[in-house]
Amino acid sequence: MRQSVSWMASACVGFVRACAVVVVTMLVPAVWAAAVALAIWWGNPWTWIVPFVWACIGTFILSRPVCRMFRLLVAKWTDTVIPPGYREAGPVVRMSTGYWWNGYSYERTRRDALQDQRMRTWWRDPATWRDLRFTGIAPVTAGVIASIPLAGVAAAVFGFSQPALTSRLIGLLGLVVAVAGAPYAWRSAEPVAVRFLGASPAMMLAERVDELTAQRADTTVAQAAEIRRIERDLHDGAQARLVALGLSLATVEKLMEADPDQAKALLREARAGATTSLTELRELVKGINPPVLSERGLIDAVRALALDSPLEATVSADVRLRLDPPIESALYFGVAELVTNAAKHAHATRALISITRDDTGIVVDVEDDGRGGAGARAGGGLAGLRRRLAVFDGTLEITSPAGGPTRVRMAVPCESL
Amino acid sequence: MRIVVAEDLYLLRDGMVRLIEAYGHQVVATATTGPETLDALLRWRPDVSIVDVRMPPTQSDEGLRAALAARSELPGLPLLILSQHVEQLYARELLADGAGGIGYLLKESVFDADQFIDALERVARGGTAMDPAVVAKLLSSGSSNRRLARLTEREHSVLGLMAEGLSNQAIGQRLFLSQGAISKYTTTIFGKLGITDDDSNNRRVLAVLTYLNEP
Repeated sequence: MRQSVSWMASACVGFVRACAVVVVTMLVPAVWAAAVALAIWWGNPWTWIVPFVWACIGTFILSRPVCRMFRLLVAKWTDTVIPPGYREAGPVVRMSTGYWWNGYSYERTRRDALQDQRMRTWWRDPATWRDLRFTGIAPVTAGVIASIPLAGVAAAVFGFSQPALTSRLIGLLGLVVAVAGAPYAWRSAEPVAVRFLGASPAMMLAERVDELTAQRADTTVAQAAEIRRIERDLHDGAQARLVALGLSLATVEKLMEADPDQAKALLREARAGATTSLTELRELVKGINPPVLSERGLIDAVRALALDSPLEATVSADVRLRLDPPIESALYFGVAELVTNAAKHAHATRALISITRDDTGIVVDVEDDGRGGAGARAGGGLAGLRRRLAVFDGTLEITSPAGGPTRVRMAVPCESL
Repeated sequence: MRIVVAEDLYLLRDGMVRLIEAYGHQVVATATTGPETLDALLRWRPDVSIVDVRMPPTQSDEGLRAALAARSELPGLPLLILSQHVEQLYARELLADGAGGIGYLLKESVFDADQFIDALERVARGGTAMDPAVVAKLLSSGSSNRRLARLTEREHSVLGLMAEGLSNQAIGQRLFLSQGAISKYTTTIFGKLGITDDDSNNRRVLAVLTYLNEP
């Protein structure tokens, strides 16, 4: 009993969904059918051009909404989210001449610029042509299959309204087809959407180019900032101290005979200065590239980091591996940042760092027992870390519920394992 | 003393050789790469050797690895490791065998010639010479240790200086205390840490460091 009820329920839901699929996919064919009907009704052999043009315009206008609706339906029913992949329009800026630049041309007013940009973006977007193709393909695939239960119902209505036995039989057959097909008929929408509505290679390439352009800009900015920092540190630190050292030595040379005691005191000072500048240089070097990292590789460097950290940090690594130095460096500084965050912001007392590898690359997990609530805020440390990992197509996953614990996973794909 | 100097930078190597000879010791061999260092250590069995961590051909931790390899061949071979940076990780590896005769200092420790030669001689006698920064880190990372937490602040600093390798007398001078007071402190420290006291200076330092090394 319960089974048959649930069967009926799924048949009803399926029937409604099939209807929705038919409506969405048949919109454009309906426009064309109307155009053809109009042309026939007018009868004059030359007037077919006008309905044809209207149908073309209708198809162009309808293609994007149809695809949006189809995507929405599929996402709602099956959890398959298909990224739309439409190209974003760039900013429209006013030039010093007073004209507006929209990335393609200069326009006199902002409205014109926006309109022109919308047209051009729409025209050049490969997604537009994909949508058009889809409006042609969908009716003969998903549309036809989804209309089976509808056809069955139509046959049943038609058949039972006639007294003849054969038409009654046809009606019964239509009813069986409608009920049996309803739960399944709409399901063809998903594979069709995945196959024909997904991003084409050209679109994926365009997206990748955008991503890489942004990353390149980031990297360049970060690199320049880093070099400026190093320059400033050297300039204010070691360089200045060496000047002072040279000065002290020159003075000592003068004082050597006249005042040996003062000369000795100066020499002691000079030695202390040299020690201080060495300490500063050591810190600077550690910030650029920790010596343990180049001497021992990632795992021992992380071990050394764990030993120096104020937390009780445990490192577990099941592999001995040497990665490309840039990846090692990114992961090392990532772990350093996460451990510092755990101590400073999450007030953790313990951290567990594990370095493993899976089929695609290296995975570093950092887990602490702090109070959680960490997230990648724009301009924050974690967002920066995510950007640095993205350069290697790496990812950063953060799970940090309020109250803790925080778990962060850095994964970088690499072939050099 | 017969000493081997392994250091790839010419200026520093030359300077150290002259310094050592000025103090009346003999440099029997110098080495500039990892494999050379291992050869020299095994062939000459020096009373003590000075080894740089980073050396050719790979410019990684060649020197340290050569030194550890030589020490596993010749247990207790006294080594003074010099580096531009000190790491707890390396200190723990060096001290792991608990056999003594280990020094681990920053390169700039040669600025103070007297102290440097003193450290060198101490290592040759089987003692230890640890960079204060490493000792401080070792002690602070051991602070979660329950037994260590029982020490007073003064006892903590005495333990630190002991770990650097100083004698009671030297510790007394640093802390402006009498030698007798220091030996009282050391007895209390050993009591609190549960280490049986031993007359030998080196054994007690090693005991402390090995103790700290325990996870």
